[in-house]
Amino acid sequence: MRPARTRTSRPRSNEPFPSAVSSAADRPGDRPEGRVLLLVTSSSYRAEDFLSAAERVGVAVTVASDHEQAFAGVAPAASLFVDFSDSDRAVSTVVKLHREHPLAAIVAAEDEGTILAAVASAAIGLPHNPVKAVRIARRKDRFRETLREAGLPSPRFVTFAIDEDPDCVAGRATDDIGFPCVVKPVSLAASRGVIRANDESELAAAFRRVVGITSTAGSRGDAREIIVEDYMPGAEVALEGLVVDGELRTLAVLDKPDALEGPYFEETLLVTPSRLPEEQQKAIRWTAGRVARAIGLSHGPVHAEMRVNDDGVWALEMAPRSIGGLCSRMFRFQAGVALEELILLHAIGAPIEERPTPTGPAGVMMIPIPRAGRFVEVEGTETARSLAGIEDVVISLRPGQEVVPLPEGNQYLGFIFARTADGPDAVECALREAHACLKIAIE
Amino acid sequence: MIEFTEAARERILAFFAEEEGTRLAVRVGVQNPSPVAPEYAMSLIELEEIEECDERHSVDGLDLVVDSESARILRNTRIDWVESIEGSGFNFNNPNIKPLGSEPLTGPLVERVQRVIDEHINPGVATHGGAVRLVDIRDGIVYVQMGGGCQGCGMASVTLTQGIKQVFMKLVPEIVDIQDVTDHAAGTDPYFSPEK
Repeated sequence: MRPARTRTSRPRSNEPFPSAVSSAADRPGDRPEGRVLLLVTSSSYRAEDFLSAAERVGVAVTVASDHEQAFAGVAPAASLFVDFSDSDRAVSTVVKLHREHPLAAIVAAEDEGTILAAVASAAIGLPHNPVKAVRIARRKDRFRETLREAGLPSPRFVTFAIDEDPDCVAGRATDDIGFPCVVKPVSLAASRGVIRANDESELAAAFRRVVGITSTAGSRGDAREIIVEDYMPGAEVALEGLVVDGELRTLAVLDKPDALEGPYFEETLLVTPSRLPEEQQKAIRWTAGRVARAIGLSHGPVHAEMRVNDDGVWALEMAPRSIGGLCSRMFRFQAGVALEELILLHAIGAPIEERPTPTGPAGVMMIPIPRAGRFVEVEGTETARSLAGIEDVVISLRPGQEVVPLPEGNQYLGFIFARTADGPDAVECALREAHACLKIAIE
Repeated sequence: MIEFTEAARERILAFFAEEEGTRLAVRVGVQNPSPVAPEYAMSLIELEEIEECDERHSVDGLDLVVDSESARILRNTRIDWVESIEGSGFNFNNPNIKPLGSEPLTGPLVERVQRVIDEHINPGVATHGGAVRLVDIRDGIVYVQMGGGCQGCGMASVTLTQGIKQVFMKLVPEIVDIQDVTDHAAGTDPYFSPEK
């Protein structure tokens, strides 16, 4: 590596992800007020980034999660135990907290907390998404029905209970949907349990497998149904947005340059800005806005997955939460603000500019899991970090952990982050080069 | 004065040679003087890019440019060029930014902080199989390492901000911040593991 004319030499130590975020609270007029209740599961990837953002913004946070935290009781407003699956009791707990430590907002970091956030916000009188809208977004079958009723493109689907006979399911879905088709649990995310089937026997086998995945998904899969739907060909994109005053503001459209054609749908690369023609991007933004309105999302972050083909833009999912894993670290908005800062500022009522956009080309690779086994280590991370355009490599598995690839897998191996002014092609290239440096040991 | 090792000097001269016909200087600076992960900047510049606030030195035949603030922090720093299977690059050996924990921890503040860790923090994290170790105290910032169930735990940041920091705010208010310097990637027995 040479000290290029304009490029900073990479620090050689194993430092945390370099933060270019300035303190939002330092900016005039942005000083926030009120406490935010952050709903995270104890298996969340998102806690650290939200807590760092809260510190930078200067907002007090109570963390509510589904397990007792180590210091529960030491600082009563710092953490809270709530059972996301027992809504009534969880709402009572939140309302009690609000009486003693008034809340300005409730933010769900991931899917599990979205319904509780809406119900508890309604009970307290805080701005929130309608509970009905969140319930629709949590289930792929209701989401598709709602889109169809609104006249928006949506794959045809059939819903089955997990205890139905796989061969009968395959027969019915063959008649109603045909091939290729995709089998999915109604409520899991991140491509878990998503399998393409090209004929009746593959479909029966996929259904059996997805039953197993749904049955062991715990609180992540709180619905016991599976859908079989049309396989939608075309380019897949993700959209990150923030609904402000009922209008969806698109923060970024993200290309997924690796083909997602099955049999499993492991997401790897996300790159922004999108390289799709502007007309298509316009259609993506327009469709996302229509989808948010159709299902009734009116407040806060959304993350959508969409496919684009000759027949139009097809919304596969829209969740009332921000992007998962550590992927949000790819975003930097004006003044270096992180996505979580934007979400928290909006949640507590700070003004959000008309159309916040990331400050430059950036991307992330969710490092693919090559095979099942016991994770040992990843070599080559320092070499990968030293490449031009690479900001960081984070390995999120721990030595000795059992690792399972998709469709069963529920963990990320790690993340590579890239940012370069040379454009999205250079971002993608840097991510692929960095990945090629990694030697992943699984035994 | 900043020094270059022979390897670093040769490497810089090789970079200069690639820009034949242009007289260049090497600019070094401190981007972040944190004792946890100091960050340095190094670039090749043309002589007209030298600014008024810069110091300019001739070191072993190299034109060296440093802004005045960085010059203070980089005093007596030795810059080396290192190559390993993990990559190559310039390494700053800076005696002014001493590694955390490199000096004995003594004094009344250290004793108070250690007592809080022993009596309030560790009994708390022990419920999750964790332990916290005091690494250093500098400029009112306490640096800690989290071990056992806390090392690599998905909720370590919650334990830090919503637990450990809260305890210190109450019991040692002169502490301005707590920073976690744990290598969480090496944790083998985390209490909570993240899931999609």
